[in-house]
Amino acid sequence: MALSEDRLRAILAWVVIVLLGGPITTAVLLGVLNGDSPCILCWAERTGMILIALVGLFVIRYGPRPRYLGMAVLLGLWGTFMAIRHSSLHLARDVGQGFSTTILGVHTYVWAWVIYATVLLAIGVLLLFVRRLAPEEGIREPGRAGRFATGLFIVVVAANALQAFASTGPPPYIGQGDPVRLSLNPRHWVWSLEELQPPRISLRGAWAIPAPDPGTADPDPAHGPLADLPTLPVSGWERIGVPLEGHLSGLARDSATGRYLAVTDRWGVYLLDGTLSHVVHRVVLDPGFSVDLTPLAGAAFLGGDTVGILCTNKSYALLMPDPQAQERAEWRHFLSTDGQMKELGLGRFQTVRAHQMYVMSLAFDPSARELVTLSVPNPRHRQLVVSRFARRDMVLSSEFRPSLAVGLTLAGPGRGLADYLVTGATVADGRLYAVSAAYSTLLVLDLQRREVVAAYALPGLAHPVGLAARGPELLVAQADGRIAVVERPEP
Amino acid sequence: MEFLNFLLILWAAWLLWRRPEHERFAFRLLVISCVLMALLFLIGTHGSLVPGLNL
Repeated sequence: MALSEDRLRAILAWVVIVLLGGPITTAVLLGVLNGDSPCILCWAERTGMILIALVGLFVIRYGPRPRYLGMAVLLGLWGTFMAIRHSSLHLARDVGQGFSTTILGVHTYVWAWVIYATVLLAIGVLLLFVRRLAPEEGIREPGRAGRFATGLFIVVVAANALQAFASTGPPPYIGQGDPVRLSLNPRHWVWSLEELQPPRISLRGAWAIPAPDPGTADPDPAHGPLADLPTLPVSGWERIGVPLEGHLSGLARDSATGRYLAVTDRWGVYLLDGTLSHVVHRVVLDPGFSVDLTPLAGAAFLGGDTVGILCTNKSYALLMPDPQAQERAEWRHFLSTDGQMKELGLGRFQTVRAHQMYVMSLAFDPSARELVTLSVPNPRHRQLVVSRFARRDMVLSSEFRPSLAVGLTLAGPGRGLADYLVTGATVADGRLYAVSAAYSTLLVLDLQRREVVAAYALPGLAHPVGLAARGPELLVAQADGRIAVVERPEP
Repeated sequence: MEFLNFLLILWAAWLLWRRPEHERFAFRLLVISCVLMALLFLIGTHGSLVPGLNL
């Protein structure tokens, strides 16, 4: 079935009428009757719909020329992008939370998504049936429906212009990110340039977070943010005596069995005996399915036989040795395995203060039965956040930014705990010990008081990646598999 | 600026209606209006051009 040009223009006139009389008129009425005032993004979305209607008027007046069709498709695509970009600000909020007016339970910015998608659909369907495009000349009489569409267009756009004048003001004022309700009383009009401040443009904005790289950190304790730290000398060196898949990236020790848990940046998980020279169990996690597993960064024994593995993106895996593990069932979880480990589950830790921050350490507090992570700073978010997750449901139970205890002083203005890059942590006797690859420093935190109660310089370390407690000692694991033994301080 | 943009659009529509021989100028007004609309949206999303979600 082919569509003649006259028939196409008649249909298009009604499409324009529906577009103007439906969403665009509704938007104006919401303002007049309900006080709804568009934000700067809503204004752009509404303008885009009006421009699509204007392109329709061009077709009605001059026929379906290629550049009109091209412009309509571009506007439809751009409008879809605008609606998705706008909706993304609010889609992930909690239930019932959104921004401004809803229609049939759906916010207007989501409706924009539907409308632009419908416009693209209509363009596609009409193009399917167009017999031929119009030449680059000639003026058509709009017809009755076309004249009505043009008149309606002028009335509706004029109404929008009046609302825009009241809501956003004359140039150079622009729409606002957080507008106030529409009023016809000039005393209540807010004309603003706040959206121009600050004028930074970025592709990903707050989401442009580089992956942490402890290898580039300054290891010299003398350059650290805390002044006059006592030194904690290395009393001896040990090393992991088995070959690992990738570089060591985390270490934990089970005080009940004396076993060690070592993880690597290539998703290797190794349960080692008390001599660090024999592999009891071994798996390589499959990082690509179900939950994205970035390089492993922390490990902890969680009581019983369960072990927890943490990735830099706060995804985690729970594993358990099981002599009866079925290799066929575990094939989906592991790239390789000794056949005696099973996966209990994968998940993602959700944080609040440590949102958009990576982590490189995991500890387990047995008295509170909570897992503990410490954030690493990035150019967008410079803070040290301690996050605690209940073992029972793996959900955030508390978070805090530790303060400094009396007696600890900063080396200068602009310095702070966020200068540290914690790559290993462990809990022993109610204290949280954390080692920083930046400035080779050991931090001792009181979990009850939520403060750093002591700090020590650890000279001689090279790229520490893990921390474990062994009685009165702390074991600082390095990426090269060597382990520095230091006395565990009791502040 | 939104107010100015609607005036440009009204101007283009008036040309289509009353001065259809000025198609080229009306189309330029349409293009200018599109650019202004896109620019205002990008200003409104200052900080992040693409959605603030995992891509």
